[in-house]
Amino acid sequence: MDIKNNKFYKKWFKSGWTYITGAILLSLFQIVTLAATGNPWGVSGVFANWGAWLYRAVGGSVDSWYYFANKGAQATLNAGILHHAGSMRNLGIIFGALLAALAASGFKIKKLKSKKQIVAAVLGGFLMGYGARIGFGCNIGALYSGICSLSVSGWVFAVFLFCGAVVGSKMLTKYFM
Amino acid sequence: MSQEVTLDCLGEACPIPLVKAQNKLKELAAGDVVIVQIDHSCALKNIPDWARKDGHNVEIEEVDDGEWEIIIEKA
Repeated sequence: MDIKNNKFYKKWFKSGWTYITGAILLSLFQIVTLAATGNPWGVSGVFANWGAWLYRAVGGSVDSWYYFANKGAQATLNAGILHHAGSMRNLGIIFGALLAALAASGFKIKKLKSKKQIVAAVLGGFLMGYGARIGFGCNIGALYSGICSLSVSGWVFAVFLFCGAVVGSKMLTKYFM
Repeated sequence: MSQEVTLDCLGEACPIPLVKAQNKLKELAAGDVVIVQIDHSCALKNIPDWARKDGHNVEIEEVDDGEWEIIIEKA
């Protein structure tokens, strides 16, 4: 049997799913994650913990930092990464994406096209990471999960996220076109 | 004479390949062809979606693992 021409392989693994399919699956899995872990879905908060664990691993201490000084954050840090549901979920997202790309035989290591890309990635990553911690959430934790929990804060976040996206798009077309 | 233009968008992320394709197509006349080379799977969705909605002829060719050519003939 030639799997490349199998219609189920093509439909499920090869071609991209529709936005509707994606939206429904995201909705279902965010309910699962809320039920299983007791917390709404978030992504970027986990990176702050990864940073803290790394810093601890080289002998630093974040215990007096405002962000980590509370009991909950300390308990999470002391329990370690293997007991952290959010870390497992983020790793699952990365490995899942890898598996999906491999299954579609779409995996490729991309070349950097210009130095501008490095500057933009580093600068953009820093701004997004900083903004997400200052805002206590990224587009998942603050926007998606906020709106899912019927919280007004999610909508407020959406308005300013949109403003940022407008500025970002202008910069993108200015520097990358 | 219709012309054929190749856009090298390898290594570029969304939405740059889409905007480049849109800008290039504006310059061309009906019957001209743009070949957009991409290695970003989102562009595999948004470029054909846009081009088909605009009524152009679109063909997709898988060149290599994770590398595609989207061939757009301006209508």
